[in-house]
Amino acid sequence: MKKKLTPIFGIAIVFALLLCACGGMAVGKSAADESSDSDIVEPAEVVAEPVTITFWHTYNEISPENEMLMNTLIPLFEAEHPNIKVESLPVAYEDFRTKLFTSISGGVAPDLARIDIIWTPELADMGALASIDEEMSDFADYMDLLFAGPLATNFWNGHYYGLPLDTNTKLWFYNKALYDSAGITAPASVDEMLDQCQMLKAANPDVYYFATDGTWAWVVLPWIWSFGGDITDVEVTTATGYLNGAQTVAAFEFLKELYDQGCIAPVIMGSGIDTFAGYGQDVYASLDNGPWTFPIVESQFPDKEISISPFPAGAGGSINVVGGENIVLFQQSENKEAAMEFLRFVLSKKYQEKMAEVGQLPVRVDLIESDFIKNHEYYGMFLEQLKTSKSRTAHPKWSQMDEIITNAGQLILRNEKSAQEALDEAAAQIDELLK
Amino acid sequence: MIDAMKSKILKNLTPYLFILPGFAFLLFWIVFPMIKAFQISLFEWNVMPNSSSIFLGIQNYVRAAKDSLFWLAVKNSFFYALATVIGQLFLGLLVAIILDRIAHGKIFFRTLYYLPVVTSWVVCSLLFKFIFNSSPAGLVNYVLVKSLHLLPKPVTWLNEPGTAFIALYALGIWKGIGWTMVIFLAAIQAIPEDLHQAALVDGANEWQYARKITIPLLIPTIVLTSIMLTIGAFQTYIPIALITRGNPIHRTEVILSYMYEQAFSNRDFGYGSALSYILILIVFTISQIQMKFKKEENQLY
Repeated sequence: MKKKLTPIFGIAIVFALLLCACGGMAVGKSAADESSDSDIVEPAEVVAEPVTITFWHTYNEISPENEMLMNTLIPLFEAEHPNIKVESLPVAYEDFRTKLFTSISGGVAPDLARIDIIWTPELADMGALASIDEEMSDFADYMDLLFAGPLATNFWNGHYYGLPLDTNTKLWFYNKALYDSAGITAPASVDEMLDQCQMLKAANPDVYYFATDGTWAWVVLPWIWSFGGDITDVEVTTATGYLNGAQTVAAFEFLKELYDQGCIAPVIMGSGIDTFAGYGQDVYASLDNGPWTFPIVESQFPDKEISISPFPAGAGGSINVVGGENIVLFQQSENKEAAMEFLRFVLSKKYQEKMAEVGQLPVRVDLIESDFIKNHEYYGMFLEQLKTSKSRTAHPKWSQMDEIITNAGQLILRNEKSAQEALDEAAAQIDELLK
Repeated sequence: MIDAMKSKILKNLTPYLFILPGFAFLLFWIVFPMIKAFQISLFEWNVMPNSSSIFLGIQNYVRAAKDSLFWLAVKNSFFYALATVIGQLFLGLLVAIILDRIAHGKIFFRTLYYLPVVTSWVVCSLLFKFIFNSSPAGLVNYVLVKSLHLLPKPVTWLNEPGTAFIALYALGIWKGIGWTMVIFLAAIQAIPEDLHQAALVDGANEWQYARKITIPLLIPTIVLTSIMLTIGAFQTYIPIALITRGNPIHRTEVILSYMYEQAFSNRDFGYGSALSYILILIVFTISQIQMKFKKEENQLY
């Protein structure tokens, strides 16, 4: 046996040596490239040596956004910056936070990432992000160029830790054919909803009036805020009196009433027909969702008519959630200069315009006021809703707070606890996190 | 003389050199992370490289003892192990005994039963998620409501812990039958054919032979298999992560999914590591208890 193994061992060694040799050769080659390249490079080039920067994002791998990024925008950037290569990595939204943490702890964070605005305080608080206001010499220019609301989501503990990349909020999407069949129109107020639901069910017994896929803050906050409630005080010091205040309790009791009457689809409890599919298949009459609903529904159900209206108003008005993404630069990045070039590029008019074509609401003030946006079939209404939309609590422990809210919502809908009881407990748990 | 000594040393050294690569991998990928995880479990661990962490001593372990969600996850893991191990052993044994006796198509059926074993957990989990979809169009709902009329209305399988675990158990058992079958089939084939002939001469039928001869002779294999399966069952993670994600309200969480949630979602790596050490302790204890059942008298024939 041993005798047979010796040659294998020998081959392994030869391979190892070969690998080393190849490595050495590759290094030599790139050094040669470098010198020849630097002759061609224009003096304006920020980066003298060829570098590769990594950019992680959650544009769905098979989506118009990712196609635009990969086939149009990155090639454009690379043509303008021959020394910078951009390696883009799409990551599923649910796995993204985890992936960022593991890579940060391993010291292999990307140079840039497009992250949910709500993760910015957490990553900044960890010390993972570079403060853009200190790193970027021309940061001040962006203060006026960008929409103030989305820009503010990058602010944490006295510094800006990123720049906004896109913004959004949600609207009331409704299936006009179903609404017409029941003789109802888009609800202007939450008070109309129970009656509307009954009319709809009378006309279409198998249809759900409304569908949403869970009880996390992104879903329940429009209801809480529109009912006049909130999660914490403005200074984010306590949840007691807010999350378990009368208005928030009323909002959850209202959702429970809708759910008990069969007006909200069971998918709110975790599984069932997914919201977009249900909308496309005439099972769900209304959704509360963002501008990406258009490309998603259009790609699966090309003939579907999509109608939108503002989120129904409650005692507190018609208030939805501000969503969107920030682009952040990581402290561990070794190519900060090159990365910031790309950062400037994603905030350029060209990038923002191109991305607006595929469903991303731009953050540049000059674009928001442009004719393209004003005359756009749906951006106008989103921008209108954004005027009253509010941001989720900026706090490093937001994800845990969100989970507490999700669980409270589940307990209420499952009829295991009264809204008051569940929210009292949730408020106490969040207070514990805020200490 | 020196040459002789040299060659002797080399000769003694050779086997160690051969196990060195494997051993180095073991040290690097298993032993080092284990020690590191133990170290982390004593801290409120900061994931940022080159940052300081707060030493907590055994506080993370004390916290686990008081954490009702963790104990629910332990209970879920325990019942998952109980259901899937018994299910796999029983059905695997049944299939093995039958396959051993059928005359035609043995290889065909063996391959068929083994297919789920070599299929990826991810694929199978997503498949079961579709099969147990809560909508009326979900396969199980469709069959139970529309085809067989056993239920008046569709079940929201994955929204309730009780029914969600039915789906998870079914997946765990279905996926493992092939593996236990192959092990048992090998063990059955090691039983001398004379015993079968002798039993038949004595007037035993196949069922009596299986019950009185085959199964008793398989006891050591059954014990060993059950240990392997139990360890595997306590380490289940993918189906939970993909099918229920621990929902609703952490009620379908198992130890590993809860540990992952603590470490990676809540960034509480210290607590997560402490939970993983508690898991090791639980698995070790259960394996020891199972080993007690293993009789020493292996050589009956």
